[in-house]
Amino acid sequence: MSGLFGSLGIAARALEAQRTGLDVVGQNMANVNTAGYSRREVDFAEVPPYERFGAGNGVEVEDIRAVRDMLLERRYRQELPTQSRASAIADQLAVVETALGKPGESIDKKLTAFFDSFSSLAQDPTSATARQQVVVQAQSLATAFHDMSSRLDSAQRSADASIVGAVDQTNSLVTEISQLNVAIAQANGAGADAQSLKDQQNEAVNKLAKVIDVSVMQRQDGGVDVTFGAGHPLVIGEVTYSLVSNPVGPLGLSQLMSNGIDVTSEIKAGSIGGLLQVRDSMVPQYRNDLDQIAYTVTNQVNTLHDAGFDLSGNGAGVFFTALGSASGAAAAIAVDPAVAADPSLVAAASIASPGDNQTARAISALRDARVMSGNTATMNDSWGRIIYRAGTDSATAKSDVGSHDEIVRQMEGLRDATSGVSLDEEAMSMLKFQRAYEASAKFFTTINGALDTLMNMVS
Amino acid sequence: MRISFQTGYRNTLAEIERTNADLAKYQQQISSGKRLEVPSDDPTAAVGAVKEHTEIGTLDQFTQSADSANSRLTVIDTVLSDVINKLTQAQATTASAMGNTATAQQRISAADDLAGIRDSLFASFNTMFRGTYLFGGTDTTTSPYVQNPDGSIGAYLGTTTAQSVDINRQKAVQVTYNADGITRGADATDVFGVLQNLIADVQSGNQANMQTGMDALKRAFDRAVSTQSKVGTDENAVADEESRLDAMRRAAAARLSSEEDTNMAAAITGLSAADTAHKAALGAAATINKLSLLDYL
Repeated sequence: MSGLFGSLGIAARALEAQRTGLDVVGQNMANVNTAGYSRREVDFAEVPPYERFGAGNGVEVEDIRAVRDMLLERRYRQELPTQSRASAIADQLAVVETALGKPGESIDKKLTAFFDSFSSLAQDPTSATARQQVVVQAQSLATAFHDMSSRLDSAQRSADASIVGAVDQTNSLVTEISQLNVAIAQANGAGADAQSLKDQQNEAVNKLAKVIDVSVMQRQDGGVDVTFGAGHPLVIGEVTYSLVSNPVGPLGLSQLMSNGIDVTSEIKAGSIGGLLQVRDSMVPQYRNDLDQIAYTVTNQVNTLHDAGFDLSGNGAGVFFTALGSASGAAAAIAVDPAVAADPSLVAAASIASPGDNQTARAISALRDARVMSGNTATMNDSWGRIIYRAGTDSATAKSDVGSHDEIVRQMEGLRDATSGVSLDEEAMSMLKFQRAYEASAKFFTTINGALDTLMNMVS
Repeated sequence: MRISFQTGYRNTLAEIERTNADLAKYQQQISSGKRLEVPSDDPTAAVGAVKEHTEIGTLDQFTQSADSANSRLTVIDTVLSDVINKLTQAQATTASAMGNTATAQQRISAADDLAGIRDSLFASFNTMFRGTYLFGGTDTTTSPYVQNPDGSIGAYLGTTTAQSVDINRQKAVQVTYNADGITRGADATDVFGVLQNLIADVQSGNQANMQTGMDALKRAFDRAVSTQSKVGTDENAVADEESRLDAMRRAAAARLSSEEDTNMAAAITGLSAADTAHKAALGAAATINKLSLLDYL
């Protein structure tokens, strides 16, 4: 039989266990706003009696667990790259579509004004003012193309700068994960508590999943191996494999290398995946379409102008400086220097008669000519298609952001339902442990009183 | 299901942000009067707006062309009326000098009248409008006729081609005329040569030549009337087209408005609903956050 001192031992172990419970409550409450924190639960176990008819020896703390559901964690992590990809696209395209300008206030307006100037010239082909206006409007159109091309360049460079930043972030997280791998392995090896490190590891991997679509494999020692794309390593145990961004091409856009291999085209998700899509697919498509319009304006106007006659009745030359190809046309389009310097060289006539206006009328009529997209669209139709494509891309990205945000929020809710801290629940636990502590303390006082009684009997 | 503190916070914040975004959207639509700020607001409407802006620009340009054409045609019409009057007057003057009843003094006076008519027609066919000649064909910078020191008028200096301007996508109207087509037509001598000959024939009393001149004046008169008829037809066409262009512009503006302007009734209703939802979200957040077991311990 354990006797009264044994009872005091029961009370002492109970007080210790309930205090530990209160500590866990305090820890949970303290970390209610800590990102990646998984709530802790204390597991109590009965201390069995030493003899057959003993009541037992009270309670002891068996474990303090971090409550996690690895399946939910994995599913949550799978949603992050898609969400950040959509978010990156939406952010970048918001700038691009603003740069494209509002309907009726951008390239379309300049095209209309340019063709209007030829129409005005057709009304008065010998007017010096009308000729000057044609040159001014053509220069204004060329400037609008240059500005738009420059804005698209800026959009590509902006996306690229974000990619470089995301690569730095990736490498920083990769280093952090490898260091955590080492620390977790050491803690597990030493039998120490590694739950806090696991929380940090989870948080770092989740942050990495937002930047680049990664595959995560659990290691026996508690660490994780992280790969991306077609199995390219980022972290294997304590070894890190950095992503490297090399500037290439005329714009100096980054090529992403891993272990000496170009992996740029393999990154499809995460913020890097979204940024790459904007930089390498969407913006170049808008630019190609813009170049096609500039190239078509140049060629169509030049063809008609070249066959016309200037104010002096001489055969005219080109109106815009001739372009070799559509590539880069928006940045290169320019009024022929001779025409710009002397508006009398503008060809309004199709015959050597200064009052003839057939060429001016023909050029003005180009506004309605279906000379784009295999002769199915006018130049302004093509501009409308750029607007539509950018608008649709941006609207789709915004919609994707909304739906993926909701999915991630739901997943976070599910994860938090398991791992998150509920202050009401902690308050209830605090009450529970407090009451148990009070009861144990009362028990201790009672046994202590019994001991006093016993001692008084002796004295 | 356990509701963690973070879940409650996230859900509350998401709802407040959503309702706040709705409020901002409607506020912006109402204050700007536009529902299309960026293409992604409604890509299809954005394309429609590009088309309508282009269409309105084109229609405005055709309207300007039609206005310009109308001004020129009005002047040409007036000049041709004057030409017709002068040719009528020339025929009457010649007729008065024909026969045996006209005295020598009367024939001299008639010849002087014919010289005046010649000079007047010369001025008419050299009419300029805003710095360009209307009867020189496409040679609008050179006067179609030049008067010689002896008063006679030289040969036509303009072109046989004419200048036209587009008043819609399918129709163009002629805004300069080839004076030679009116003064000479298929004849060997233009009306100035005819008048020059008549001046001499009237003075000399050459009846046969006067009759020949009368016939030539009659043909010139017919050509002038025919030309004026065409001008009148074009004037009517331009007037009709201006009405059509105005109607088409109003229709395009209405379509554009439906594409990019705010439907105020819908936006104000939406703003009211968003305001209610936002207040409800804020109220719910305040109520939920007030409730904590910790307050009762």
